[in-house]
Amino acid sequence: MAIDIVLAPLALEPKTFNVGDTVRVTASFKYTVGVNKTVRLFAGPYYTNLFGKHLVDQCVGDADVSLIPASTPASQTATVDFILIPKANSGIDNGTYGLRVWIEDANAVSEQDDVIIVTGNTGSSDMFSSMMPMIMMLMMMGMIMPMTQQMGQGAEEE
Amino acid sequence: MEIKNLALDLGAFKLLQEDPGQPLQDPTLSGWYVDPRTGQRIFYDSTAGKFFTLAGGVYIPLGYMNPAPKQVAVAPGDRLKITLSFKYTGPAITGVTGYYCIGVNGLFGFNETMVGQTTFSIPQVVSPPSSPNVTDSYTFTIPTTIGTDWDDIYVKIFGGNPSIGGQATTSFMFGYENALSIAGIQPSITEFKISDFAKV
Repeated sequence: MAIDIVLAPLALEPKTFNVGDTVRVTASFKYTVGVNKTVRLFAGPYYTNLFGKHLVDQCVGDADVSLIPASTPASQTATVDFILIPKANSGIDNGTYGLRVWIEDANAVSEQDDVIIVTGNTGSSDMFSSMMPMIMMLMMMGMIMPMTQQMGQGAEEE
Repeated sequence: MEIKNLALDLGAFKLLQEDPGQPLQDPTLSGWYVDPRTGQRIFYDSTAGKFFTLAGGVYIPLGYMNPAPKQVAVAPGDRLKITLSFKYTGPAITGVTGYYCIGVNGLFGFNETMVGQTTFSIPQVVSPPSSPNVTDSYTFTIPTTIGTDWDDIYVKIFGGNPSIGGQATTSFMFGYENALSIAGIQPSITEFKISDFAKV
């Protein structure tokens, strides 16, 4: 008799952050390398839409990680910080985001959807930015309508 | 620096293995043929009764590479000792060349990236031994320029007096694929995952 038990990696729990917060991400991995090597670890939030996953570039943080030579797989942990820059500063909007961590120039990427909940962007700026296209449209219509009326009156006079 | 050993049993040269369901006859004349099972162009030497393939201008006997029974992890600066052994019965032979290679075995043959040679003699043996009675070895020092795909090795013996065969046509060669796990200049990263994240 045999019992097969498969241990799935533990999923990360969603956490709520305010804009302006610094988020520290801890990554773990195994590596082999023949010489002393420094690699760059990146982390940042991403959102998903119809066209795929998109990093919020303004919020991506990075950190250098030093690796000592190891010819057999060695365990390593490393941390990297990133800041949730407010929307008002061209940063991140309120909402739910995924978290991606990766190492530059290496086949090492880890990510999980919907684990970063961002709040704290002021409502007024949000409302203004969401209404901006409508306001612009109304302003344009307001400029065009008088012009078309003037052209119509000119044609009647002729 | 640590010496790492990789023992190679220099087995007998393997001809194309016959499929019981599809018995094939060896050709009767020397020349180029197409292996109906693999589509590979092969050369048959009817005098020696051996098949060869041509790679890089060298005729290489078919079927000398084998899956490695173990993998040895090496890094730049390490020393890798490859030992060959075989059973021998026959007259004494002097000046046999042992040829040791590390490289990349691919579709077009073996790309030899590191080569080492030794010279050794074989004593006269009149009765078949029960275990390998001839050994030879060569120690490589792994350079910093090693590529992470230099994971294949092969050895062969040739020459001597009386000669056991030429360098390109010797039957006594044997290799292992994926025998080495190379820790090169670029790191190889596995099991990468997010352990935790929190506000600081």
